[in-house]
Amino acid sequence: MFDKDRIAEIERKRKEWEEGTLRKSLERFGLKQSPAKFYTPANIKDFDFLAKIGFPGEYPFTAGNYAFPTTALAGSMYGAGGGAPGALVRAGIYSGYGAAEDTRDYYIKTQAAGPNIAFDLPTQCGYDSDNPMVRGEVGKVGVAVDTLREFEVIYEAFVGGKDIDRIASNFTINAPANIIFAMYLALADKRGIPYSKLRSTPQNDILKEYIARGTYIFPPRPAVNRMFRDSLVFLTKYCPNVNITSIGGYHIRGAGCTREQDLAFSMAIGIAYLQTGIDAGLDIDSFAPQFTFNAFGGSMEFFKEIAFQRAARRMWAKVLKERFGAKNPKSMIIRQPIGAHMGFENTTAQRPLNNVTRAVVGGIAGALSGGPPAVAPPYDEPLGLGWSIEAQQLQRDAVMILLLEAKLNEVVDPFAGSYFMESLTDEIEEAAWKELDKIEAMGGAVAAIENGYMYREVARSAYERQRRIETGEDLVVGVNCAIGEGELEVIPPRMVPHPYDPVKREQAEEKQIANLKEVKRTRDNREVARLLRELEEAAKKEEENLIPHFIECAKAYVTEQEMCDVLREIFGEYEAVAI
Amino acid sequence: MAEARRIRMLIAKPGLDGHDRGARVLTLGLRDEGMEVIYTGLRQTPEKIVQAAIQEDVDVVGLSCLSGAHRYLFLEVVEQLKAKGVEDVLVIGGGIIPKEDIPFLKEKGISAIFGPGTPIKEIANYIKKTVKRK
Repeated sequence: MFDKDRIAEIERKRKEWEEGTLRKSLERFGLKQSPAKFYTPANIKDFDFLAKIGFPGEYPFTAGNYAFPTTALAGSMYGAGGGAPGALVRAGIYSGYGAAEDTRDYYIKTQAAGPNIAFDLPTQCGYDSDNPMVRGEVGKVGVAVDTLREFEVIYEAFVGGKDIDRIASNFTINAPANIIFAMYLALADKRGIPYSKLRSTPQNDILKEYIARGTYIFPPRPAVNRMFRDSLVFLTKYCPNVNITSIGGYHIRGAGCTREQDLAFSMAIGIAYLQTGIDAGLDIDSFAPQFTFNAFGGSMEFFKEIAFQRAARRMWAKVLKERFGAKNPKSMIIRQPIGAHMGFENTTAQRPLNNVTRAVVGGIAGALSGGPPAVAPPYDEPLGLGWSIEAQQLQRDAVMILLLEAKLNEVVDPFAGSYFMESLTDEIEEAAWKELDKIEAMGGAVAAIENGYMYREVARSAYERQRRIETGEDLVVGVNCAIGEGELEVIPPRMVPHPYDPVKREQAEEKQIANLKEVKRTRDNREVARLLRELEEAAKKEEENLIPHFIECAKAYVTEQEMCDVLREIFGEYEAVAI
Repeated sequence: MAEARRIRMLIAKPGLDGHDRGARVLTLGLRDEGMEVIYTGLRQTPEKIVQAAIQEDVDVVGLSCLSGAHRYLFLEVVEQLKAKGVEDVLVIGGGIIPKEDIPFLKEKGISAIFGPGTPIKEIANYIKKTVKRK
C-alpha cells in the first residue's frame, strides 16, 4: 500500500527520532524505554486495504456488519422533544424473579416491551422447585419455571397488541434450553400463533457453561451432539425468526480469561455448534444466519477493545467463508446487541459513581468499533442488580449524548487505516488464531473442555489478573490507587425502592412449591407417565429430535425436572474437572 | 524437628451458583500463600461439603455464594458441622453477601465474610491468625 522508498525513508527518520528527540526525553525522566508507543506507515508497510478491511457490510466485515450502523440514524429516530425510539421493538432489560405471578406483575407494572427472562438457578439447572436439593434458591436469581403453567402466567402480561407474535422474547437458558423453549412453543400452539411468527433468542450456549457460568446438566458431547443439534435443526426448519444461539465470550471474559482467549474460545465454540448443523446434513447458509453472539467480553483498555471487535468480525467471516464455505453474507457476520464495552466485571463497589465514567469509556469504544455505544452496566450494578432507575436513566442518556452530541456514529470504522489500530487488530487476530489452532489440534472446543484445558486456562488468567491488581501492576482507581487520606468516598444516596418486591421474593419458594403441587394434582398423571416413557425411548435413538417430544410433554404439564431426569439417565451428568 | 503441618482448607460452592472465579482465584492464591487448598467444584450440598471437610481433615472451610441463597446454605453447613461434632474448624465466606446479612451470618458461626475486592493476602493473614491448628 505504501511506496517502498517512502517506507525506507520513514524507517530511517524513525531511527533518527529515537536517537535524538526520544532519547532526550527518556534521559530527562531516567527511563530506558518510552512509556508510550508511536506508530508509522512502516508498522503496516505490507497492508492490503481491500483484503484486510474492504468496505462495511462486505467481506471480511472488519469495518462493520452493514454499510452503516443503524445507530447512525439515531437523530432521525429520536428527534427534538422526542422520547420513544422508532420501529425497533427489542426485548427489554434482563429481568425476572420469584414465582411466575411476581414476574408477570413486574412486566405489567413496568409496561415491558417484551420479556428478557432471567430464570432461577433450579430452572437453569433442570431441577423443580420442590426438589429438596434446591432449597433456598427458588425464585432468587430469576423466575421459577417448572411447567407450562409458569409460561402461561408470565405471558398474561403479553396479550392482544403485545401477543407473542408482536414482541421479542429472550430466554437466558442453556442446558435445558430445548425444554424451556418447548414450553414457549406449546404456549404458541395454545394461542394459535404459528412458529414462523415467533421472535426470540434463547441463549442456548452450553459450552461456555462448563468453563464460565456453571449451569450445565449433561456432559458436553450429548449436550452438543443431541441437544444443540436438535435446537439447530428444529429452529432452522420451523422458526426462521428465532435465533438458534447467543454465543457468549463475554461470560468467559467475566470469568477471567484474556482478550485473546475470549476470541479464540468463542470461535472454537461457534465452530463446534456450526459443525452440528453440517453433520445433520444442512447447508451452512440455511442456519448460520440464525447464529448470534451475546457479546464478547470487554475491558477498560480502550484501544484494545476496539481492535478486538474488528479482529473478531474478520475472524468469524474467515471461518464461515473459508472453513465452512458460506456464500450468504448474512452467515458471515457477528450479530450481537452490543460491541465493545468496559467489561461489566470491571465495575467497582468502591466509589460507585466512577462506574459511570468507566461505562462511558466503554460506550465510546463501542461506538468507534462498529457497534452501538453500549454504556453499560448501570453504575450501581456492584451494589445489587436491577436497582436504581436513576442509574438506568443516566445510562440511556449517555448513549444518546454519544450519538447525538458527540456524533460518534457519523463515520463507520473511523480507525480504519490507522497505523496503530491496524497493527493492534492484526496482533489480536494472530494471537487468537494461534490459540484456536491449539484447541482445534486437541479436537475442538468439546475436547478442550473435556480435558480441562479451557477451564484451567480461565482460572489461571483470572488468578494472574488478581495478582497484578494486588501487586499494583494493574491499577484500579478507588480500589488500589487514589485511596489516600485526601480522597473523598463519593457514595450516591439511593432514593428509589427496589423494583423487585423483597417480600414476594422471600415467599416465592413456598408459593411455587404449592403451585407445583396443584399442577401435579390436577394434570393427567397417566398421560405424564406415558409421555415420559415415550421420551425415554426417543432419547435412546441418536437421530431422534427430542423437541417435538418436549412440546407434547409441556402440553401435558410434565415438569422440567421430570424431562431432565429421563435425559440424565441416558446422557449422564457432567462431572466437573478439578484445579 | 517435625515441620508444622500446613494449614488445610476446603473451598466450597454450596448450592447451584455457577460463578466460581473467586473460588478458583482463592484456591490458586492461597496455595501460593503456603496453604493446602482443595476446591470442591460447583453444586455441593451442605452434606457433601461437611463430608469433604471431615474426610480432608481441614482447618478452614471457605464458602462462596453469589446467588442470594447464602443465608440458608451457609447456615446449613455450620449446623451440620456442629451436628457431626466438628469443633474448631474456621468457617469463612464470600461472594455477593449484602452488608445487612453479615451480622446474622457471624452470629450463626461464620467468622468472617470477605467481599469483592478483598486482597488474597488479607484472607491468608486472617486465616493464619485465627485458625486453630491441629
